[in-house]
This record gives sequence, C-alpha cells and structure tokens, in this order.
Amino acid sequence: MTASNLAAAPSASMPALDLAAPAVLQVRGLEKSFKKRQVLKGLDWSVPSGRVVGLLGRNGAGKTTLLRCLLGLSPIDGGSIELFGDPMLEPGGDRMHRVGFVPQTFDLFPWMKVRAYLDFTAAFYARWDATLVDRLLNEWELDAKQKIGELSQGQRQKLAIVRAIAPDPDLLVLDEPVASLDPQARRAFMGELLALMRAPGKTVIFSTHITADLERADADIALLRDGRIQFTRPLAELRESLRRVVFTRAEGWSHAPVVAGALKSHVQGEQAVLLIENPLLDSLHAFADRENASLRVETPTLEDLFVELA
Amino acid sequence: MNVIRQLWMQLFRRLPVVVVVANLARVAAVYFAFRTWDGSPRMMPLTATLFGLATWIWHIGQGHLLRVLCMPESFLLPQFRRRLLEYGAVDGLMWVLVPTLVAAALHAPYLLLVACGSLLLASLGLTMGANRTAGLYIWPIFVLFGWMPRLFLEILEQALQSPLTPLLLIAASMLLLQLSIRPLLRIEDREPDTSPLESTSLGRTASRSIPGELRRTGAFTRRISALFDRASQRAMDRALAMYEKYPTFTRRMVLVRRLLLPHDNPEAIALRIAMVAVIVGFYFFAVMHRQHFNPVIIGGYAIMVSVSRFPQLNAGMVRMRPNMADLYLTLAPETRSEYQKTISDALIVLVPISILTALIYTALGAVLVHADDPWHMLFVAAIVSASASLAALAVHLVGPEGMTGRRLVNAVLIFGVMGVYWGGYWLVGWAGYVIGGSVLASITLGFSFGAWFAAQREYQLRSPCFDTPIG
Repeated sequence: MTASNLAAAPSASMPALDLAAPAVLQVRGLEKSFKKRQVLKGLDWSVPSGRVVGLLGRNGAGKTTLLRCLLGLSPIDGGSIELFGDPMLEPGGDRMHRVGFVPQTFDLFPWMKVRAYLDFTAAFYARWDATLVDRLLNEWELDAKQKIGELSQGQRQKLAIVRAIAPDPDLLVLDEPVASLDPQARRAFMGELLALMRAPGKTVIFSTHITADLERADADIALLRDGRIQFTRPLAELRESLRRVVFTRAEGWSHAPVVAGALKSHVQGEQAVLLIENPLLDSLHAFADRENASLRVETPTLEDLFVELA
Repeated sequence: MNVIRQLWMQLFRRLPVVVVVANLARVAAVYFAFRTWDGSPRMMPLTATLFGLATWIWHIGQGHLLRVLCMPESFLLPQFRRRLLEYGAVDGLMWVLVPTLVAAALHAPYLLLVACGSLLLASLGLTMGANRTAGLYIWPIFVLFGWMPRLFLEILEQALQSPLTPLLLIAASMLLLQLSIRPLLRIEDREPDTSPLESTSLGRTASRSIPGELRRTGAFTRRISALFDRASQRAMDRALAMYEKYPTFTRRMVLVRRLLLPHDNPEAIALRIAMVAVIVGFYFFAVMHRQHFNPVIIGGYAIMVSVSRFPQLNAGMVRMRPNMADLYLTLAPETRSEYQKTISDALIVLVPISILTALIYTALGAVLVHADDPWHMLFVAAIVSASASLAALAVHLVGPEGMTGRRLVNAVLIFGVMGVYWGGYWLVGWAGYVIGGSVLASITLGFSFGAWFAAQREYQLRSPCFDTPIG
C-alpha cells in the first residue's frame, strides 16, 4: 500500500473533505515539464472553498511549479485549471481582485521604496485595507521609507505577505511564506492568517516544510509526490486514522513485518517501525505475541507523517 | 486615474535622468515653438527636432520601465494589461495628439507627417527601451543610409510628398509596438540566471539584466549561450584537473579566473571572435560600396568594441557581490587586502584578451576594406588597445557603481580611445614607427600603467563588499 491509497480508499470512519463546498480551484490532468524533466504528471486536484490547505512535498517535488501554474504564472503543457469556476488560461479579469500570492522569493522592484510599492499595488485593487497595511508595517517593523532592495530576505517576505493580504483576497496562495521569518514573525503571520480565515469563504493554499504551522492552522494536508497529489485530507483525519507502530525484539528483524493497512515500514536495529492506517489493535497484539516482540503504538506527528510518506 | 498616475510616477522613480533630459528637450521645443508663433518660422525645424528627441528619449525610458514592470507576478494585479493600455493611450495623447494640435495651431506644414512621425519616434524609443536587441531591427536603416545615401535621400524626398507615407509610418509604428510589447506581455518560465560576468558578445552593451528581471531569449541566443556554457564547463574541468595534479599558485589563479570570467577561456574567446567576425563581415559587405574608408575609424572602432567588455565588468562585479562571499571563504585569505589583490590579479587577464581581440578585429577590418597600410593600423592598435584596456580596467575596477556614473565614465573612455587612436595614427604616420611609436607608447602606456597601479592600490585598500546591490 502506498500513500496514494489514502486518497483512493478513505476509511468509512474518516470524515471526507466537505465536497459540497464549491471548489475554488479545480485541476484536471495538469502536466508541466522543464526541458525533458516532467515535474507534474497528469495532476488532478480539487480545493474546496473555506479551507486552509497545506501543500507538502519534498524538495524538487514541484510545489512551487504547481502553485505558479495554478495562478497562470507558468505556462502549462497539458490539462486544465479552473479558478473560481472559470478556466485559468492566463492571469486576468476581475477574479484577480480575489487572489493574493506570496512568492517563494520576493525580488521585484528593488529600487522602489516600501510605501511606494504598496501605493503602486493598491492602485490596482478595488479593495485595499490601508489600516491593516499600516498596522502590519508598524507591528512587523517594516520601514515604509526603505528601498525594497535594502530589505533582508525575511523583511521582503513580510512585505510580500502584507501586499498579499491587504486586498482581503478570497484565495491566498503562499509559497513557503515563513521560510525566512523569525519565530515571532512566523507566529504573527499565522495569527493574521487565522484571522483572515475567520471570514467566510476564504481559502488558503500554502506550501511549507514547517509542519507545526499546519498543525496550528488545523489545515488539510495535500501531499505532492511523483508529479501528482497523492491525497488531500484534513489533518485531524490523518491523525485519527494513522498510527506509528513499533515492534521491538532482542534478536532484531530480517525484514519488516507484513501487517494489514501498513503504508510504510522500515527496520531500525531491534525495532520494526510501521505506519499503519486504521490499525486493528487486537491483531497487532496477537502478531507481537506470536513474534515474541513488544508493541508500542504512537500517534505520529505531522512531521513523522511527512517523513514517512513524502 | 490613480493607476495611471502610479505608472507615470514609476519613470520618475526608476529613471530620473531620462525624465530630466527628455523634459529639458521638451521645454526647449516649447520655447522655440513660441518663438515660431512670434514670427520666426525658421525655428520650426529646430522645434520639431527637439520635440522628436524628447519623444524618443522619453519613450526609451518608458520601454525600459515596461521591461522591468512586466514580471509574471505583475500580471496578478487586477486588469494589469488593460491598465497598461490605458496608460499607453494617455501617453499617446500627451506625446502625439497634443503636439500635433500645437503644430496645427502654429500652421506647421506636413501636419499628418508630424503626427505619424511622432508616433513612429515614440514606438522606436519604446522598442529600443523594451528590447535590448532592438538595434538589430533599426540597424539596417542606417546601413541602407550609409550604403546608398543618395537613394535614401531621394526616397525621403518622395516620401514627404506621398499620401501613403503617413500610412507607412503608422504601419511601421504598429510593427515596432508589436515587436517590443508583445514579448513582454507573454508569461514565460524563468530561465536560469547566468553569470553577471559572462560575455557572449550577443549584447555588447553594459546594460545587463536587472535583478529579478525575466530573461527573454530567442532560440538562436539560447543555442549560442549553450555553446559558451559548454566551453566554460570544459575550461573549468581542465583547470580543476590541472590544479588537482599540481596545486600551484598559478593554477589556483586560473581556477579563480574560470569561476569569475566563465567566457574568457581560449575556446570561448575564439567563439566570440568568430561571431563578431561574422557580424562585422556582414556589415562591411553591406557597406562595401562606400568609396572612402578611414583607417582611423576602423581601428578606433575595433578598440572600442574590445574595451566595451569593461563596463560590464563593473556592473557584473557589483551583481556578483553576494556570491563573492563564498569565494572569499573558499580562498581563505590571510587579510582582506590579499583577497582584493587576488581578484584584481585575476581580472588583469582581460587586458591581453582585449588587446588580442582589438588586433584581430583591426586585422579583419583592414582585410575587408583593403586598407592601404594595414601594418600601420595594427601597430597603432597594439599600443592604443594595450593602454586603453589597462586604463578601462583601472577605471571600472574602482569607478562609479551607479548606472549614470558608469555610462559617463564609459563615454569619456570611448571618446578618449577614439581620439588617442586618431592622434596616434597621425603621429606614427608623421614621425615614423620608431620615434612616433615610442612617443605614443611612452605617453599612453605611461598614463595607463599609472592609472592601473593607482586603481589597484585603491582597490586593495577597500574592504571587500558582499552586500546585495539595490538594483
């Protein structure tokens, strides 16, 4: 069994995503290559409205490529993308008022001052929360008179976040938004994000390696691997259904035990470690007794899940 | 209107010098326009010329601005394309319609031609600012002018009378706008960044990509770049292999050079010279029918082309700064001054490369135009290019880092080189190879060695800087 089974065969006990909610984003058969390297291979994905979705994947899995393709910032080779119900052939139209984006690296307009850049951007938007901008500039200690080129990477990231949330977007797409932020700024950012999400109909997609943030936001987890979204499931569901099972015995293990529902397994000295979906505890205990091993069942952290599945 | 005001303000923020120069020319045009109103109709050509110059310069700035604004992320701004179109319409109103109305009020002749000519000048400026290789489209016109000036003037005279000329000008403007703006509005994947110190000779100008700017290259450029990249990789592999075999100081310096100057290895230099030879060969073929070739111009041009590498060195070194920290740590110098000396010693290899390039270009020019005295040209070129290269390296190593300052220094250097070549050619012709050559060499080389040693000392006194440039 692989991680894709999580998407293909959710257990009856798990509440599925709210499929009744209208999809903000609908992706079908998305393909994208760079020269001869295929990054996205017929990717299908649906993101319902009103969710925080954490996009997880290893380095080079194609997270940034996927997010840029979703917004039309990178031309696609095949498939289709619908944003707010309309085909996303290129970024344009009034729906852009409803989209906020924080790129992985912010290296635009280095000669502009912070205030000038925000004024320039604000001019394009129908909604622009100037009070929020002033508050965040103040709280995040961004000097409005400083040139963007003079800001540190973390400060640029903060500016990109301010710029993205100021138009009060319905869909916020963030590409590793907290990678360069210090813990205080990260916490403040998450606070703003959660506040934004309190309004109805707001959707956030963000890629990150800091799984603690996803746990704090109680996000849905989407795993990108092998050019496809392997599953999109609420974190609580994953936590409830997946268990880390450790069998220990003195003589060790020649190979990992085969157990029903095992998604991933490996042997570590005296221990055999398995990630199991909906484990049957009675049968695990029976197996442990039979093999003369002790049994330990743990609830995995999201980081454990990521390490095992990604 | 707020969007249009914001877009308009960007030019003031990004290119204030262009704004000032263009507006000075416009104010002068308005002044002479009023003089025309007062009854001095002879001022009209001057007014038109000044206004044409202002239009052209202003729109070069607008083209440059468009180039830096049209990043993929900008297209996420609501109605970005439409706002640009509206801004273009307002710009057209200011620079084409209003001036035409003023010209009509002044009872200027060829009113329709003035309007269409303004549009063409604006489009030309926009194209030149937006597309760094736009010169390739405009160059053939000047080739035609140089090849057959009489025919060109006859065409011009006929065009002034023809009712079809305004239509032709509008069509040419539309074509230029299509060529300049369309690629900018296309969203493409970012190409990997190249070394700021690369030199493929595909763009001899000092204006390299702006930080964060999307590199837009055609298939031909990509193929040539791939050839250069492969050559630099092979050179780096060879240098590494030699260093691993016998790690001497000289071989370490070769490694530093291969890293800093990826396209200044023998293979890449040969490729670059071959490419320039093809372009220059085409140019000479195109203008072959001109009767008089001044050897001074050919030699001066050859040296100018060879020293055009140095302004890029200045800009490239500034952009390389953040990466230089890695080199600093790798070299692990005893002192900061030692590191600075390593860098300046590594860069001095550009001087013999520049001399070799100038001599090859001069020889090529001499052969193509059947010069009467090619040895005379080569002799002077050898002395002047040596001194010019050394002086150029010196001034760009410690010279101003700002775009305007760099361009000023470069302009002074280029005119200086042309003047020295002209003077040197005359001196050697008048006093002979031995005396003339000795005088020329002692003056020019004395000056350039002095400049180089002073610059090197100054560079070594400076602390290495690894800060990211502001852009």
